[in-house]
Amino acid sequence: MDRSYKDLLKIHRYPHTWCPGCGIGAVMKNAAIVLNELGWNYQNTAVVSGIGCSGRMASYLNFDALHTPHGRALISAEAIKAVRPDLHVVVLSGDGDLASIGGNHLLHTSRRNANITVFCNDNEIYGLTGGQAGPTTPRGTKTITSPRGGTHPPLRLGRLLTMQAPYFYARTTIFHLNHLRTCIHEALLWNGFSFVDILSDCIELNGRRLGFKTAHQMFKWFDQRFHIVEGVRDRLNEDELGIASAEVEELPGPVEKVEVRPEVSVESLKFFTLQELQRYDGTEGRPIYLGYKDRVYDLSASPLFQGTQRMRCHIAGKDLTHEIEMAPHGEDLVFKFPLVGRLV
Amino acid sequence: MRRLTSGNEAIFQGALRAGAGYFAGYPISPTSEILQQAAVYAEDHPDFRFLQAEDEIAAAIATISASLAGAKAFTATSGPGFTLMQEALGWGHAVEAPCVFVNAMRVGPSTGMPTQPAQADLLQIKGGSAGDYYPLAFYPHSVEECFRLTVTAFNAAEESLSPVILLSDAFLSHFYEIADLDTIETEVAPRMKKPLGTGQRLFTGISHDKMGNTRTSHPEIYKEWIVDLKERHLRVARKYPLYEYFPRPGSETLLIAFGITSRIVSPLKERFSLFRPIRIFPVLEDELRKVTKSYRTIVVVEGSDGQYASWVECAVGRRVSKIPCLGGGFKLRWIQGQIEERLKGIEA
Repeated sequence: MDRSYKDLLKIHRYPHTWCPGCGIGAVMKNAAIVLNELGWNYQNTAVVSGIGCSGRMASYLNFDALHTPHGRALISAEAIKAVRPDLHVVVLSGDGDLASIGGNHLLHTSRRNANITVFCNDNEIYGLTGGQAGPTTPRGTKTITSPRGGTHPPLRLGRLLTMQAPYFYARTTIFHLNHLRTCIHEALLWNGFSFVDILSDCIELNGRRLGFKTAHQMFKWFDQRFHIVEGVRDRLNEDELGIASAEVEELPGPVEKVEVRPEVSVESLKFFTLQELQRYDGTEGRPIYLGYKDRVYDLSASPLFQGTQRMRCHIAGKDLTHEIEMAPHGEDLVFKFPLVGRLV
Repeated sequence: MRRLTSGNEAIFQGALRAGAGYFAGYPISPTSEILQQAAVYAEDHPDFRFLQAEDEIAAAIATISASLAGAKAFTATSGPGFTLMQEALGWGHAVEAPCVFVNAMRVGPSTGMPTQPAQADLLQIKGGSAGDYYPLAFYPHSVEECFRLTVTAFNAAEESLSPVILLSDAFLSHFYEIADLDTIETEVAPRMKKPLGTGQRLFTGISHDKMGNTRTSHPEIYKEWIVDLKERHLRVARKYPLYEYFPRPGSETLLIAFGITSRIVSPLKERFSLFRPIRIFPVLEDELRKVTKSYRTIVVVEGSDGQYASWVECAVGRRVSKIPCLGGGFKLRWIQGQIEERLKGIEA
């Protein structure tokens, strides 16, 4: 087997901090293998991670790596990509980090379609802090903060991330190694925001409480829970492993503005000069006229102009074209009134 | 060109002069204008990147990350937003990211009085994030100085390898003065830190040694790092001992005021001496000690309930009179009355 991927790992920092049987090592190793296959190295790639056990992946990778505060990996990666479009930016983090405390950034970085790749080590638990229920912990799971089983349903990342196009969401597990590598490969080559949800095990702080004796038993459990679906889908069901992606952005149609026009022939109208118009300000029983876009309208019936009363800053007997453009309402309010002449 | 310029405009122009290439922000009174200018500027200048973030936490983290990636970056916010940025501020000191945080202070706590000026974020900028760190903070008092000090803040950030805070307030940010920014001469410090993609470094908020290896149970390595951090900041601070001092012969009273308050009390220079610190943090301890020595009474006029006055007391080792202008109430006549009252009390 080609072992040159080890150049991408800081072997001198080993032994690492993870427990025996932990899935994070498999995530990191397979990410390193694919990065090495693609020829990505510290000169063209930056790595970002969050907090937690999975956040430590950045410190074992031979790249310029950012270990951000809890939950902030995605926005950090987005900023790096904005300043340095020549760099590939890879985020390696966990489900608690990305989906809970960093949930807001997950929503918005994916909405803005930042061109970054995210590998989420989804072990369905807060591992480093001792095994508290996380955002992706299945309902009914016993953890130290849900001793009788969690009462809330988990956050379904697959549904969340495939809501707005374009998207790339892949679900895989550390048991299905070839599938894992394929997903990582496809995600790294995706142009835009790509997210790989890697179901992983935390045997010490989650598995044992669930009744598993070894990590291998948990892998078997993954095999029972999930099955691989071929090809690229639109959506993935909760028991399916595979890739869901959509390239085309769903753009809303242009806003159609309904134009209201008075149905009076323009030729038969009387001509007004600005001085003549000024007389029609509602005083001494005269009607109230307004000029708008070279036309004169009779607003005597308007409840807002009565006698000498003004409508806010609008003065009767004037050309109000400019004022109505600035007004919060549209011109249709003027068109409701009878057209009586043309302005010269 | 001489023209009417607001404090926010001057800050943005100053950042451009200093070579800023990245702005991330979130709308908030009274610094939304900086965000708007950055958005408009970024449309025509592809080298200048702009992000309207989902919240201030994201804006601050993006600013620091962009700085590490290689751009001179800055963000602008106000009190409540700055509270959200505290996390990033601590991280910025840990990963040594040079960048500038603009904080235009308004009345707090929480949403407070969004359109009224205050000077009550001083303790927040000094120590709002966890742990020990030694931020530099500058506070201009005029539109032209907003421009100059923004450049200074960027330079100090490059030299101290840390976020530097540029203070303003709701008055100063929206304040229009005639200024000719183009003719102001400034020196711009170059970027020394190598951008991402040039090494195999680890930028982490965890305690780490010089190689970037995490060390979470080694007090001596931590102490070495924090001493280095402190020395670096104090060295840069010594380079910018910025203050103004207007002695009034025969006066036994020294007024201390900064930012917009120093403009408001400036007519009182006829009667009292006035000291205006421009570098707010680290506190100008030596200068304060030297200047206050010859005065019987020290009066600190500020827009908070004694936040700077307590630092003055610590520095000079004696009690000072505090005149807090709270809730945006900076009235010269009221301040004058308060000073008279204090002086009467002391003489009696």
